Amino acid sequence: MSVLIDASSRVLIYGIAGNFGRFSARDLTAHGTKVVAGVAPGRDSPDVEGVPVFDDARAACSATGADAALVYVPAPAALDAVLEVLDAGCKVIVYPGDGLPVQDAVALRDAARRKRAVLIGPNTPGVISPGKAKLGFMPSFCYTPGPLGVISRSGSLSYEAAWRLTTARLGQTTVIGIGGDPVKGLDAAEAIELLHADAETEAVLYLGEIGGSDEYAVARYAQRADAKPTAALIVGAAAPPGKKMGHAAALVGSHADTQAAKVQALREAGVHVADNLRTVVDAALHALRVRESVTT
Amino acid sequence: MIEHAGKRLLEAHGVKVPPGILVSKPAHVQRWRGAYPVALKVQVSSGGRGKAGGVVRAADAAEAEAAAQALLGTEFGGERAATLLMEPWVDHSRELYLAVTVDGQSGGYAVLYAPAGGVDVEHQAPHKYAFGPLEGFRAHELRAMLLPVETDAALRERVVALARRLVFIAGATDALTVEINPLAVLPDGKLLALDAKVVRDESAAYRQADVAAEIDRARKREPRMVAKALAGNLMMVGLDGEVGLMSGGAGMTMAAMDMIADAGLTPACFLDCSSNPTPAGYRLAFDVLDAEPKVKAILVSIFGGGTQIDRVAKVMNEIMIKRKSRKPVVFRMNGTGRDQADVVMQQAGLRNHPTLESAVDAVVAALRAQ
Repeated sequence: MSVLIDASSRVLIYGIAGNFGRFSARDLTAHGTKVVAGVAPGRDSPDVEGVPVFDDARAACSATGADAALVYVPAPAALDAVLEVLDAGCKVIVYPGDGLPVQDAVALRDAARRKRAVLIGPNTPGVISPGKAKLGFMPSFCYTPGPLGVISRSGSLSYEAAWRLTTARLGQTTVIGIGGDPVKGLDAAEAIELLHADAETEAVLYLGEIGGSDEYAVARYAQRADAKPTAALIVGAAAPPGKKMGHAAALVGSHADTQAAKVQALREAGVHVADNLRTVVDAALHALRVRESVTT
Repeated sequence: MIEHAGKRLLEAHGVKVPPGILVSKPAHVQRWRGAYPVALKVQVSSGGRGKAGGVVRAADAAEAEAAAQALLGTEFGGERAATLLMEPWVDHSRELYLAVTVDGQSGGYAVLYAPAGGVDVEHQAPHKYAFGPLEGFRAHELRAMLLPVETDAALRERVVALARRLVFIAGATDALTVEINPLAVLPDGKLLALDAKVVRDESAAYRQADVAAEIDRARKREPRMVAKALAGNLMMVGLDGEVGLMSGGAGMTMAAMDMIADAGLTPACFLDCSSNPTPAGYRLAFDVLDAEPKVKAILVSIFGGGTQIDRVAKVMNEIMIKRKSRKPVVFRMNGTGRDQADVVMQQAGLRNHPTLESAVDAVVAALRAQ
């Protein structure tokens, strides 16, 4: 099992005629994911990279049975494009773009909830269940199947961490990029529930940063009696206060936003927190060993 | 937005604020046509100015001019007060706190209310009504929350009506926070916004012309190195150290900064090129780091997903051939297209470090050798 997507997922790429769309059509197919449809409004091309192209998401879904979508449009067009794929019936949607106005993110989070669908993003590379399915643009070679569920606010940090895990032969069930914005579709609290319910996920690795409240949701989860062993890495110790570090939510405004405060809260909750990138694999291994000692 | 700009925005949407003028020279207080006493308030973005003496009451023009003389040019929270807001001193019976803000925890908007506002509002947690998207606001739900908090029905209704107005403003202006503290209750029971803090959403600049203009102005206030990078669509924060960190992606940039700090060095910047991963973007990144005398070595640390690293490697090679600066450059690039990238780097005679650890060690060695 995996969460959100699996080998049966049928993927639609919205904006398939653009650079990212074409690249992902090839890249997802190479990973073994079924790319069944593309949408490119106003483009008169019957197919792109061998994938049939439609003018409209509803037509694409009814013709191909697409149930997951990867949406490549610029931020000003994101609200309408994501609403379109939601209306068309897609149940898992990745919007990777950054610079989405928060007002639109709030509207999309609400719209997805009403449709009982899951929106991942904005500002995310997407989600990958190694060896099963991929809905995003992360580098596939960094991942391998295994027992660890991973959640990350940062795309680049998730590639780096996954590559270290994979190099250490520590595989992943699903790696979810929740994104670096203050309001997002799937947040850390919801993502960790998905991994909690997944039988194959034995432990969770959370990759966080300064600002926002996701890390505290992870700490609350870890305090539960039935929580799976959890490891974490929180970056941004060297970041100065009051400055936005690339991500819209990565800003130290109060003590609770700091890396030190978050590390302390997570450690108090029993999370194995890595001191830095060097020890992230060790922290994940610790969490998995706790699991083994409980189950054996 | 500073107080004055926030008040003008509220006023434009029908929220009652005191009439005020801006004063940037002590003599400007003579332009005041209203009655005395007045309040002179420094216009800085940092909070806590009231406690720091940045709000002064003046009984007449002479006092006002003396206060302006004392306040203008003084630093508050590290920011020099270049202008003052001059307003009538308002007698009021109570101070409330009211805000509409984006609440990351619930993934939507929330009304925050405290029955005792003012400078000490941080000491008590405000009451929160989280209502999701803007159209999720329901006056009756807010009223129900206020019922045990405010027994004065007329005041309660005024607060509910004002909150509804702030919800509208948050939507119309793409504001992340619209906060009124203190919100004064006047002797006749009406509400008056004595202060205003409005935080706009920078991502909405494409549909809010004044936000775009403010981003431009803020960029021009940055040090030259940062201003130049921002103008070229790179994400940059100046950090004053010796290691020019050129990276891709916010999380990895911070992870690399932390590792540089752990090695006893200081990053010169947070410089994330993923917003403009083009030849022009990388050239600009080298230009600003090469031109900055504080930068003694450059670390290129990129783990590309959407950014195809083989293309970046080609660009780096071209830049290295033409580059005049002799500052040492250490590369660590991985990600999509890394096999081809390694071939490109090898042919160019450039070393691509296998891990961030070995790259940071190489930076340390390069700095020691200087």
